[in-house]
Amino acid sequence: MTLSNIKEYLTNDHRRCDDVFAQMEEKAHNSLSDAKELTQEFIADMERHFQREERIVFPEFEAKTGMVNGPTEMMRQEHAQMRNLMQQFLEAIENDDKDKFFGLSETLMILLQQHNMKEEQMLYTIVQQHLSAEAGHIVEKMNSLIVE
Amino acid sequence: MDFNGLSIDQAPPISAPVRFFVTAPIFGIIAGIFLLFSDSATLMSRYSIDAIVITHLITIGLFGFIMLGALTQMLPVLASANVPKIKRVALFSYLALFFGLLSMAAGLELSNSVLLWSASALLGAGFLVLIVSMLYALKGVKHFTASIKGMFTSLIFAFMIVLMGIYLLYGYAEDDVTQLHYIVANIHSVWAVFGFAGILIIGVAFQVLPMFYVAPRFKQFCKKRVVILISIGLFIWMLLSIYAEQYALYAKLWITTFFWAFATTVWIKFNKRKRPISDLTVWYWRSASIFLTLGSFLWIYDEFFKHEYIVMVGILIGGGFILSIMLGMLYKIVPFLVWFHLNALGYMTIPTINEMIDKRFARAQFILFIVALIGFVFSFYLPQILTPSALFFTVSMILLEYNMLGAVRIYRRTKKTKPDFDMSAFSTN
Repeated sequence: MTLSNIKEYLTNDHRRCDDVFAQMEEKAHNSLSDAKELTQEFIADMERHFQREERIVFPEFEAKTGMVNGPTEMMRQEHAQMRNLMQQFLEAIENDDKDKFFGLSETLMILLQQHNMKEEQMLYTIVQQHLSAEAGHIVEKMNSLIVE
Repeated sequence: MDFNGLSIDQAPPISAPVRFFVTAPIFGIIAGIFLLFSDSATLMSRYSIDAIVITHLITIGLFGFIMLGALTQMLPVLASANVPKIKRVALFSYLALFFGLLSMAAGLELSNSVLLWSASALLGAGFLVLIVSMLYALKGVKHFTASIKGMFTSLIFAFMIVLMGIYLLYGYAEDDVTQLHYIVANIHSVWAVFGFAGILIIGVAFQVLPMFYVAPRFKQFCKKRVVILISIGLFIWMLLSIYAEQYALYAKLWITTFFWAFATTVWIKFNKRKRPISDLTVWYWRSASIFLTLGSFLWIYDEFFKHEYIVMVGILIGGGFILSIMLGMLYKIVPFLVWFHLNALGYMTIPTINEMIDKRFARAQFILFIVALIGFVFSFYLPQILTPSALFFTVSMILLEYNMLGAVRIYRRTKKTKPDFDMSAFSTN
């Protein structure tokens, strides 16, 4: 990706995760065990996105604005809620429990989308405004991030 | 700097929207009971007292309560717009609307001018306080997306129809029903259906369909122009219906073209969605598209038959389109709010949103509702099916209330019994 706009970069990341999510559900619809790989891929994509924010963008933004307990903290809490839900995806696959799996995926979907709306509508716009000078550099860092 | 939209204490407390959501079905039940005791000949006249009372129990009690509840929840999320003092504003409006609507129904049925005056004061205050607060909150939003424009426009229409409603109630309170009264009543109803509810649904759909169903996005033309084109159509229609009624048909054609196109677009987008799920909300969206299409055509057709079919148009568009979408949304939003608020409090072992409402009851509610709607449409020709349809409708509203309270019960029980209190998910990673 050659984007140098943080807002666009992270927004595209959201859409990519949405697509993998839909593929995962499609697979799970036919057979849960077949969906295991896509589920792991989805969780990994989400984790990469979270870390791009938590390890790169949020600290830069907090350092620049001094807003430590503000919106970024709220977003971290919602990331934690999502991580917790996604862990249970794999459990549901192990137990071959389709109802549980789709219950979890539906819950995650709504949580995730309202979270994305807050970020895309508000946070990313402010982040881009405050970090526009170093945006190219930040995007580069996000591209080369090694997930921990 | 304005970070309000993202701070946790700014998210409205669960009680603000949920209070509206669990009260709405009660008005549905009351409307159903009124329908049971009405005769179809009276209801065929849109200006009969029974028809007005039942219509408003549904439009204010069901649509109004659900839409206002949803807006208090959605504005901070969709638009990062925070209504000042939302807790107090929402409670005030809720109480004023609740007692206002009951006074209106009783006042009209008993032709009691004291009740009608208090209805007019309470409904006026209840609606205007919340609408003006929301418009004020939206005014401060810097990044105006297509959805926010839709909400803003719809609230402007809401503001106008409330003013018209106050005038109409004055007519009944003072027994001063003139020619102007009927002109205003006509504008009031068309603007309420297409301007307030219709535009709100279109605006929210721009955002909701691509996001929650991973459906293809709406075209830029739709997102940028449709709301304004419909608004212009509604305004021209108003002028024509006052000054040159014989040409009003052209404005109607203009308005229905967009709504019919919207109905078709929704259908196609659901066909192309990437998520395979087909739950109750998808069924509700689908039935809404069908009813909207039928209703739009009938609204035009009705023009050539001295408005004989106008009540049927109301059933198709009001019940089939608007109410279907509202009910479908309730099945998602109430369980999600329960889950979200419990989870944010630290409860981790709670049911997922699919497990909060018994699917069988939800399906039964949907089927009864659709059968009742079809029954209402045909009771135009077969008056004897009005009563069974009203019965189906009432039972479907009782089931709706039962289903919503089921989710709320989980919230109450979990908070009371505290099954676990696991904060590990919030530890730093």
